[in-house]
Amino acid sequence: MTIEFRDVHASYNADIPILKGVSFTVEDGEFVAFVGTNGAGKSTTMRLVNGLLKPESGEVLVDGVPTTQLKTSELARRVGFLFQNPDNQICCNTVREELLFSFRALGALDAEAERRVDEIIAEFAFNPDDDPFLLNRGTRQLLALASTIVVAPPVIVLDEPTTGLDFRECVKVMDIIRHLHENGTTVIMVCHDMEVVADFAERVIVMSDGCVVDQGPTFEVLRNRHTLKAANLVPPQIVDISLGLNMMRPDLEGTLVATANTLNEMELAIATAVGKPEAASSVPTYAPTAPGAEDALVEGGAR
Amino acid sequence: MNGFLEYVPGTSLMHRLNPIVKLLGAIVFAVACFFSSNLVFLACMLVLALAMAASCGMMKPTIGLMKAVFAFSLLLAIIQILFTPSGDALVVLPWGYIGTGSLIAALTTVVRLEAAAIPLFLTFYVTKVSDMTNAAVKVLHVPYKYAFTFSLTVHFIPVFLNDMKGIMESQTARGVEFDQVGIIKKIGLIMPLCVPLLVSSVRKTNSAAIAAEVRGFNLRTRASGFKQYPFAAFDVVALLAVVALLVVAIIL
Ligand SMILES: Nc1ncnc2c1ncn2[C@@H]1O[C@H](COP(=O)(O)OP(=O)(O)OP(=O)(O)O)[C@@H](O)[C@H]1O
Ligand SMILES: [Mg+2]
Repeated sequence: MTIEFRDVHASYNADIPILKGVSFTVEDGEFVAFVGTNGAGKSTTMRLVNGLLKPESGEVLVDGVPTTQLKTSELARRVGFLFQNPDNQICCNTVREELLFSFRALGALDAEAERRVDEIIAEFAFNPDDDPFLLNRGTRQLLALASTIVVAPPVIVLDEPTTGLDFRECVKVMDIIRHLHENGTTVIMVCHDMEVVADFAERVIVMSDGCVVDQGPTFEVLRNRHTLKAANLVPPQIVDISLGLNMMRPDLEGTLVATANTLNEMELAIATAVGKPEAASSVPTYAPTAPGAEDALVEGGAR
Repeated sequence: MNGFLEYVPGTSLMHRLNPIVKLLGAIVFAVACFFSSNLVFLACMLVLALAMAASCGMMKPTIGLMKAVFAFSLLLAIIQILFTPSGDALVVLPWGYIGTGSLIAALTTVVRLEAAAIPLFLTFYVTKVSDMTNAAVKVLHVPYKYAFTFSLTVHFIPVFLNDMKGIMESQTARGVEFDQVGIIKKIGLIMPLCVPLLVSSVRKTNSAAIAAEVRGFNLRTRASGFKQYPFAAFDVVALLAVVALLVVAIIL
């Protein structure tokens, strides 16, 4: 199921425009991450995807149909949505009821639903009789995620799914999301953690002040310091380090350490420089400099 | 950006009045409106209230408020028209009649409610809630605990409204439809809407209480406030003016 934005303008009240002409397409089965500073308009964009907000001009197409023509429940069936605050959606007395409620809200509660719920409970290792309000923050977030994906929406939108979670919980959540994606679900994620973005997303869309300022494959977007800087973002450290290694080449008696054109190559670059410098000679000799790479060492050093 | 009953900064005369004068003045103004049934006087009061709103640049929220009050007072007015026959009969009903008197009485109700409500609401838009409570503690010797309870209540209105919005969005995203019609279906909305709201409010009040406690809430007395709220000449004039209005209302 594809999501398409065509020159979308949107706002909460007419005086203050929030989105100023946003266009992008998310293809079926993609994993796209949205990055941008606080207030860039990412959450607003997500609200538009599932019709909580309607565009003032332009069109938001879900599977080719404008969101303005779809009913709430029809949209909810197509697009699952996980908000940052799990407490806003938890409303039942037990974990099991909470998961069943997702089906009830869609008017699809049947034997098949019960089977799905039991499956999810097993998959997430929940205790079905736990009181959701007494669970810890990470588990509540997992429960909210579970009740979003239990109804198997073809598209899932995640607004900062890992904020406020410790590393272990974060990995748990992201592993589940990766698993979903591998099984064909389209994933759209807003995330402030650039390391998570680098690790999981296939494509990155950079937003700044209500506009899309850059989009493309993850490694290409993350290594372009100029656009990231324009959007007030800092690339993940792995990019910094590998770009830094690229810059150090002349010091190593002119030996090329590695290229840093993809994230895999970046990792290889680090491995080569740190662990087995002798492998460096086997790396291709051509290494274009990433835009703004000269900043990497400076900023990296300052950190 | 400001929400319902939220302070809007400004330097107008209304903003600079003593908070106590504003609060008492608004109350006396409202009382005056209820003392009089003279339509001309009430219309003057309404004009005066609107002039006050205009003087501090609050016409926009005031018009919003007037719409809401109008909807409510219209209900009362319709009941009055149908069930309190008076004056010359215009339309005969099985149980009485609609008369010219009923129409005037209904109009009076609408104008009275509008005029009485505006200054009360205006007070919140032009006074910081903290000023209101501090002044009440300093000048009127209200115990701080009660004044604080009041200010916290007002403070939490926009917070809860905001929570409510977040919860509705979350549940809408799950497919819960809030534009349901029919009582039975509306009752079905209690669970997804009220349970999270209740839980989050209890959590919030709890942490607010703890936060107040650790900041020495119980130690606070009337003498703790630094800011003084002296009465200026203009405050006295304003207060006398509303009292005069009350006297006129009682005489008429
Ligand atoms: N309900 C609302 N009413 C009015 N303005 C809003 C509302 N929600 C957000 N805004 C404004 O819209 C702008 C964009 O907000 P948005 O939530 O989309 O940003 P974001 O990119 O998600 O930021 P963050 O990283 O902080 O979540 C902000 O300036 C914000 O103040
Ligand atoms: Mg956001």
